[in-house]
Amino acid sequence: MEWLGFVNYAVFMAIFIGIYALLALGLNIQWGYTGLFNAGIAGFFAVGAYTSAILTSPFAEGRVGGFDLPVPVGWLGAMVAAGLIAWPIGKICLRLRSDYLAIATIGVAEIIRLVVKSESWLTNAARGITDIPRPFGDLAYTMSQLAYLAIVAGVLLVAYLLVERQFASPWGRMMRAIRDNEDAARAMGKDVPYRRLEAFIFGSALMGLGGALFAHFNRTITPEAIDPMVATFLVWIMLILGGSGNNRGAILGVAVVWIIWSMSEIVTDRLPHEYAVKAKYLRVFLIGLMLQVVLRFRPEGLLPEPQKRGPRPDPAASGARPPASPD
Amino acid sequence: MRTFRIAAAAALLGATALAAPAHADVKIGLLGGVSGPIAAMAPAMIDSANLAISQVNDAGGILDGQKLVGVVGDSACNPQNATDAATKAVNIEGVVAVVGPHCSGAVLAAANSVTIPAGIVIVTPSGTSPEITSLKDNDTVFRTVPSDDFQGRALARTLLERGTKKVAVAYLNNDYGKGLAESFRAEFEAQGGEIAGYAAHEGEKASYRSNLADLASGGADTLVILDYGDGSGLTMLRQALENGFFENFVGADGMKSDAPIKELGAENLETFLASAPVGEQSTSLDAFSKAFSDIGGDPSAIFVTTSYDAAFMLALAIEKAGGDKAKVAASLREISNGEGEPILPGEWAKAKELIAAGTAIDYKGAAGEHNFDEAGDVPGAYALFRVSGNGFEVVSEMK
Repeated sequence: MEWLGFVNYAVFMAIFIGIYALLALGLNIQWGYTGLFNAGIAGFFAVGAYTSAILTSPFAEGRVGGFDLPVPVGWLGAMVAAGLIAWPIGKICLRLRSDYLAIATIGVAEIIRLVVKSESWLTNAARGITDIPRPFGDLAYTMSQLAYLAIVAGVLLVAYLLVERQFASPWGRMMRAIRDNEDAARAMGKDVPYRRLEAFIFGSALMGLGGALFAHFNRTITPEAIDPMVATFLVWIMLILGGSGNNRGAILGVAVVWIIWSMSEIVTDRLPHEYAVKAKYLRVFLIGLMLQVVLRFRPEGLLPEPQKRGPRPDPAASGARPPASPD
Repeated sequence: MRTFRIAAAAALLGATALAAPAHADVKIGLLGGVSGPIAAMAPAMIDSANLAISQVNDAGGILDGQKLVGVVGDSACNPQNATDAATKAVNIEGVVAVVGPHCSGAVLAAANSVTIPAGIVIVTPSGTSPEITSLKDNDTVFRTVPSDDFQGRALARTLLERGTKKVAVAYLNNDYGKGLAESFRAEFEAQGGEIAGYAAHEGEKASYRSNLADLASGGADTLVILDYGDGSGLTMLRQALENGFFENFVGADGMKSDAPIKELGAENLETFLASAPVGEQSTSLDAFSKAFSDIGGDPSAIFVTTSYDAAFMLALAIEKAGGDKAKVAASLREISNGEGEPILPGEWAKAKELIAAGTAIDYKGAAGEHNFDEAGDVPGAYALFRVSGNGFEVVSEMK
């Protein structure tokens, strides 16, 4: 049954791509559309993963939880919790300009990681939470994976459609205006700090949802999963490569990076043993190189942000009315 | 969504194109943290597992003279890479069983989302988290390294036997330190000891004087440091000695390092004890050490004995199960349950004959007897050490 193995592997990759696509969509809202340099994705990922884990896992000695709630409640809770955590952080940090915001968010993610690692009453500290239910997890291997893929794909599709719609709306145009020329947007009477906060919370909630889907897929969440390398910077690479400001680009970037990352190991394993072990590092190098090449030759990413330009002096010619404030 | 489907299709096509299955080989996965935080330890562990595999192949191969092949996967010490590596090993390479992954978090994720559903046996040589014990694993998750629980409890009992009734505990805030500290406290208090101070600390700080002052305020004269002797544990030990916060010091295997002796001098460490696993000075360990030294390995490197045992035992179990994935778990228990003809590391030809003849065998590993309990765990063998000259010497065995 060789082909079944390939199906399992492909389904696994698709699930993974779906989960990371949610993170990339969240980042796209923050960076791609609003220009917020959030380098703390791992933090919101962790909040979502742990919130859902605590809400849905069965009772365990020595920590909060054991609420045993249905999985969708956990996922909703994950989004709400990530959004709630994002609110005070955004309130404080969003006054900072790009690189300072990046530093502040790295710090915040690190604080969250240390809290997760230390507070055993909340997260069972370094040992992590196990026994998290996976929907349809009792089915046989392939069926269970397929069922989870269907769920992830459904969630991603809904998230994608909503985000797309949001950006085609006046709100989206306003966000781009704030990103490209803050002073002009302010002069137009837009409440810039408030709008930025909206985007920050919105994006963070999606990242939280991604974290929750990840925790349920693995049926366990440990602090190792929120390492900044795999939970923050990898997502950045995916978004930059795919094309920030373009939701399809974000998803494509995730697929390209993950497929190269994962399948390159199959290729390097064909090498003789002593090289095969060393070649594992080549994969890390390959991702970095790919980012360099894209930044050098195609800085807008594989799928650039769609530009709808009309002749400037005559807004009617572009077929759109002047953007109205959504308020 | 279109990109999504394209991605899935591309993955499928790519995987099909790349696969060149060689039916003659029997494969086992060697998942380890090749990149990531334990990158320094992983190569030696993989080498020792490969030693077991080459011994099998040199002595006639597995089953009907087939070749045993180890497929190395990079679990990078995190769940993302571990599940990816495990999925590839199980589905693309078609491994019969897996040695690894190395880190506890990676073991939990890979087992839960890949190997348990797929019914593949995994044996981790270095995942020490107590959470692994309680996995609902259909008897497919084993380990050749004792859970952190064992050492902490053994240390607590030994201290009480030696007459130490009141201690303060300082532990490094990671799964190693915390796991040890919790099991130590549970056992120490259950047996009537008193914990007069109990606090976690973060690693690599310049000063721990305030932590030490807090701990000393409980009135204990013995400090249990569950940390690493070449990191913050050393700083803590030095500052406790300098300022006279405590008189006696006890550490676990992380503290049994040469760094304190070099930095602080043996004459200042007369009241320092450390527990550590001992590979029960056995003929098994000697056999392994010789074979591993011969291929240029360092037999005293951490977790090499457990890695070797995991690979060799899986080979025995696969042989016994006739290559049937579903029977590997049961066979793994049969080849090392304390009954039958003893098999030492490297004795593949002998084991193969006995298995063929239907005789019961009992593998005596380099790291211990490996008689698995119901959860697939092994008890550890530990001893208490004290500083002597420029090294450590055994004070007593720990029960």
